[in-house]
Amino acid sequence: MKRIPVKERSSLADAAVRHEFEFQAGQGVPFWDETAYYQFTTQQIDEDIVAPAEEIENLCYQVISRAMEDETVLQRLGVARVHWDLIADSWQNKDRNLYGRMDLSYDGKGPAKLLEYNADTPTTLYESAVFQWEWLEEADKEGLLPDRCDQFNEVHEKIVEAFPRLGIDSILHLASNQDVEDDKGTLEYIAECAQEAGLLTNVLAMEDIGISEEGQFTDLDDKPISTLFKLYPWEWILAEDFGAHVAASGVRFIEPAWRSILSNKGLLPILWEMFEGHPNLLPAFFEDDPAADALGETYVRKPLLGRQGANVEIYRDGKIETSREGPYGEQAHILQEFHPLPDFDGRFPLIGCWLIASKAVGMGIREDKTLITGTEANFVPHVIVE
Amino acid sequence: MKRLRNSASVIALVAASAMFTTACEEPKVDAAIYETLQQCLKDINMVRSECEKNYNSARQQHAAVAPKFASKQECETEFGAARCEQAPQRTSSGGSMFMPLMMGYMMGSMIGGRGFGNSQPLYRTRSNPGTFRTSDNKAAGRSTGRTQVAKSSMARPTSKASTRSRGGFGSSGRRFGSAAT
Repeated sequence: MKRIPVKERSSLADAAVRHEFEFQAGQGVPFWDETAYYQFTTQQIDEDIVAPAEEIENLCYQVISRAMEDETVLQRLGVARVHWDLIADSWQNKDRNLYGRMDLSYDGKGPAKLLEYNADTPTTLYESAVFQWEWLEEADKEGLLPDRCDQFNEVHEKIVEAFPRLGIDSILHLASNQDVEDDKGTLEYIAECAQEAGLLTNVLAMEDIGISEEGQFTDLDDKPISTLFKLYPWEWILAEDFGAHVAASGVRFIEPAWRSILSNKGLLPILWEMFEGHPNLLPAFFEDDPAADALGETYVRKPLLGRQGANVEIYRDGKIETSREGPYGEQAHILQEFHPLPDFDGRFPLIGCWLIASKAVGMGIREDKTLITGTEANFVPHVIVE
Repeated sequence: MKRLRNSASVIALVAASAMFTTACEEPKVDAAIYETLQQCLKDINMVRSECEKNYNSARQQHAAVAPKFASKQECETEFGAARCEQAPQRTSSGGSMFMPLMMGYMMGSMIGGRGFGNSQPLYRTRSNPGTFRTSDNKAAGRSTGRTQVAKSSMARPTSKASTRSRGGFGSSGRRFGSAAT
């Protein structure tokens, strides 16, 4: 695995306009850095990313099966009992998942380690699926890359392929917080994928969703919603006013409710408990578990339901060495072994492996200047070269 | 893993729903449209039993599928003065709801000469009173009697849930910002 400096495409400004990204002369596209790329071999991708990611996915299914029988799982994840049936039903009904992003610490040599699984509302989909692919094509045309470069990236095709297999037989509604440009853009992209797959779509804001006399959720035309893709996390939905009506609404959600078990960082201590010693897992414990003493005085402390590195703290010898602020500090936490991201020229790349319909089909890399990958991290493209 | 995908295919943002096709461009199917049961009975090309059974079916669907409004005024703005009636549904606070009067009904010709079926109620808007419209706002032409309409206009009308409130989602987003992880 190498980090290779490279010239930006001369077409970057045009690309930004076409994809409706901001662009500033001299600064490029915010949170996108194509002044370097990461280079992998096929073997590294196949053996060190794809195989482990799909294996971890199977381990996760085993965690969910266990959660169906052992109520301590949902208890420890902090899920209120009133929502347990909703989660169990979505699993028993085999409600299908579409996408997720596993965050892995990997340096090209040792086994990749799972830091967390973004199984509900993963970010950087558009950059991973579309923008970095176009970078590859254009940078290649401009002669900036070695011969016969490839990229671990079938994200777009696999999303379009997956949609018809989700069993959606009516209009697909899609909702997000439409005031956040990033979320709105991601949602529009997913709607386009669904359209490409032949589905009819209707995009709306979460706050536009209504409820009818009969307890159905409705759109702005008062049409009942039967399938809803939501770029909005389960923990927010269930905590809000309409959350109590979700179970009776009859809506099928993408991602389904059972995914909330995996997007909760409580997944990590449960995985460790069930599969201790697995080469791609890090030791992890709930903060109040006496077994956490095994980590000693150096570890990473994470809230169960934070986002993008908020409230993550790295403890070294009992003191906070690095941390990120955020609004999630009051939640229950887990402790995970400190396995630092590798240092490439002072940048710390985090590998996001994309699983579409539970198959590892792509990868997006974000670099932060610190060991906790946050909202300021830049997306950096990658290539595969033998 | 290399593939020849045209990345231009994933560019333009598409607005909301893409549900309505222009009726003119679509294949047409045989249908019969009448403003009243009487009008159908007077048509020598129609059998009495067909007129009645389809009229009754459309009337039965009318209250469920007609667009709903929280006030008579809102309804009349859309459908015209004196063209609205109270709907059987109520709001959660016990208030009345209103819907347009049923202004006609449409039935489709059944395969194999088995008469007419799949009937549904029709309406006319204030802004375009010459054209019959289904409860899903699909155009059904301007003619009465035996006629032809766009295939998609014959689709079963959807029930109009009467939304009693909105805004029950979204508060966390306003507080925390992006949902993404």
